[in-house]
Amino acid sequence: MFLAPDGDEIEIIDAAAGFLADVMPISRLHESGSADMNGTLRRQMGEMGWFALALEENKGGSGLTAVEHALFFREIGRLCGSLDVLSQALAVHVADGDLRARLISGDVGVALAVRDGGEFRLLGAPGAALALEVNETGAWLRDVSALAAETRSSLDPATSMRVSTAMPDAVLGQVDGPEVMQLARLGSAAMLIGLAEAALDLIVDYAKVRETFGRKIGAYQAVRHACADMALRAEAARCQLWFSAAAIKEGRGDAAIHLDAAKHLANQAAIANADANIQLHGGIGVTDEHDAHLLLKHAWFLAKVFGTKRALLGRLLDARVED
Amino acid sequence: MDLTYSDADRAFREKARGWLSTNVPTTPRPAHGAAAAQFDRDWQRKQYEHGWAGVAWPKDFGGLGLSGLQQVIWYEELARARAPHYINTTYIALMHAGPTLIARGTDEQKAFHLPKILSGEALWCQGFSEPNAGSDLASLKTRGVVDGDAIAVTGSKMWTTDAVYADYQELLIRTDPGSERHKGLTWLIADMKTPGIEVKPIRTMLMDEHVNLVFYDEARFPVSNVVGQINKGWSTALSTLSFERGLGFIGDQLDLYERVCRAIDLAGKVRLENGQRAIEDAGIAQKLAGLKADALAIRAMTLAHITESDRTGEPGPKGSLMKLTVTATHKALSETVGDMLGWDFLEFDGDRASHPWTYDYLWSWVFSISGGTSEIQREITADRLLDLPRAR
Ligand SMILES: Cc1cc2nc3c(=O)[nH]c(=O)nc-3n(C[C@H](O)[C@H](O)[C@H](O)COP(=O)(O)OP(=O)(O)OC[C@H]3O[C@@H](n4cnc5c(N)ncnc54)[C@H](O)[C@@H]3O)c2cc1C
Repeated sequence: MFLAPDGDEIEIIDAAAGFLADVMPISRLHESGSADMNGTLRRQMGEMGWFALALEENKGGSGLTAVEHALFFREIGRLCGSLDVLSQALAVHVADGDLRARLISGDVGVALAVRDGGEFRLLGAPGAALALEVNETGAWLRDVSALAAETRSSLDPATSMRVSTAMPDAVLGQVDGPEVMQLARLGSAAMLIGLAEAALDLIVDYAKVRETFGRKIGAYQAVRHACADMALRAEAARCQLWFSAAAIKEGRGDAAIHLDAAKHLANQAAIANADANIQLHGGIGVTDEHDAHLLLKHAWFLAKVFGTKRALLGRLLDARVED
Repeated sequence: MDLTYSDADRAFREKARGWLSTNVPTTPRPAHGAAAAQFDRDWQRKQYEHGWAGVAWPKDFGGLGLSGLQQVIWYEELARARAPHYINTTYIALMHAGPTLIARGTDEQKAFHLPKILSGEALWCQGFSEPNAGSDLASLKTRGVVDGDAIAVTGSKMWTTDAVYADYQELLIRTDPGSERHKGLTWLIADMKTPGIEVKPIRTMLMDEHVNLVFYDEARFPVSNVVGQINKGWSTALSTLSFERGLGFIGDQLDLYERVCRAIDLAGKVRLENGQRAIEDAGIAQKLAGLKADALAIRAMTLAHITESDRTGEPGPKGSLMKLTVTATHKALSETVGDMLGWDFLEFDGDRASHPWTYDYLWSWVFSISGGTSEIQREITADRLLDLPRAR
């Protein structure tokens, strides 16, 4: 029993963090234009094998587990990484043959299709011909190139949004069962936790340098105590994330329950920490040029996918865990 | 990262569960007073006689020498068996006086006191806080004058839990008259029967008298009762506090999940003022499910922190986060149950057995104030975990 990254897992974190700092810095979100993955970035990521970490080796993946998947997406989250990185890493589990190979290599991109009443929201990968839909019962990959999707302006600079009233019937790939949703929920929870940690780091750094009334703001208890609460939210969600990732890896019967709790705590931690980070920065926190608002906006998108409060809590109410 | 228990851990759980299933006292713990203290001594004696005393203590000192993880298992099984609430009159002796003596005591002190603690023969209390020294413990004033082979103590301690029933006290005093703050203090074993000690109970909002004022009027204690060195008592006190902040709340941490589940069962039975069952109320259902998530995270944090310190051999800096979340979750659970129990929640005779939820609600302030307030836990987190500029 050990509930923190260890051994090779730490190497994965370091490799991911080093790579992503170069290719997906949060500063990209201050440049004009879409901040989803572009083709070049997607191929760079594909070359490194990042989309297929948790895919079996005989399917062209690295044969790693839910744990490494979570570790990687936490690093993505720290940089406000785009949602289509996750849909790409899920789609490799849904496609076969040549299409799977092209998804793994980043040759083709894939948007996330989310049902919204009678419509579909297509998130990320704005030019992509493919869209992935995931729910508790399965996952479906479709060709959406012929779809008339209307572009909507997105609150989140890291995630583009299109809306379509229909979805083609034909599927290019399909998986039955909850496995893809499990990776989706775990990945999005990990991103949210990375984001909650990034918000804490930003304000702790700032509180050590910003002065008012002749003192560092980090010496004021209104700031210190809010930071301590942020640290607690991140710590609680992170420990529950590790628990659920290890539970999935080990095939525990109660893994889904632990994962529901992790996603719920991650949703809360990310939005609350992003909120406090803006507030504690003062005026600079509401400027476009600062990163603080980017974290908040992205948190809302991640909290909306793969497990929202009502659904998660509804299931948790009657669930019982094992020892 | 892994969640697997070793064969030894699993075997330990089986053994603990088996023993507890037939040995946990079947009568409820008396709410107050000497009867409660006697109940605690008896339960401790039973654990001792069957080889279950001192889960956290090294084998060399009569304990079980369990790893942190096995201690977690023990407390989980206590919660499952609904064993007497673990914060009882044996708590100070087992959770911090004993460990402090093991770490800092002389051979004579260990040989005399440790077996008495394990067997439930000796109860201890903690005499650190004073009327004017709580959060700011280093401002304490109770003074000790070294006089030959004795130290004469004069002053007062406050909030001393269970001082009436305790046989011994962890007494922190100022022995260097000109000293300030952390310097010049001494950690002393005080026999509570020593002439010159007077204990005066303080009635609390729980309708009990479990905390006390303790007055010392030239009460004389042998110098051989000093733990650590004279005038260097702060260092010994830090050991005591580290045990309190390390695993001091482990029982409550692990009990929370079971208590949330009991509250959810209860919500399936009780009716609200509108005739609905509580569980059918979306607000209550969501609160309870959210608390279950919090309780699961507390368990995950406990396991993460304990397996980490099993490796490093030291408690990490995250005990304050733990206390913050356990006390906040405890209070939120009590409030939610209070909301659904209606008028029944407002009946209270001071007895935890007959009014468990109301008692626990009132207890939530004891919890968030004693052992370092929530504000102080945030301060410690800001200093030690986040390395923010000091407020003080
Ligand atoms: C039921 C109970 C049992 C106890 N049992 C024992 C015992 O057995 N032995 C023992 O030695 N002590 C015991 N205590 C004492 C306990 O440790 C103190 O009450 C606690 O540390 C707070 O000290 P205080 O009461 O003097 O409050 P104060 O220190 O006066 O604090 C008053 C308020 O100010 C806040 N505050 C203080 N300093 C700061 C700061 N620097 N920054 C921000 N906020 C601050 C506090 O959080 C609190 O809200 C017990 C207390 C209670 C209530």
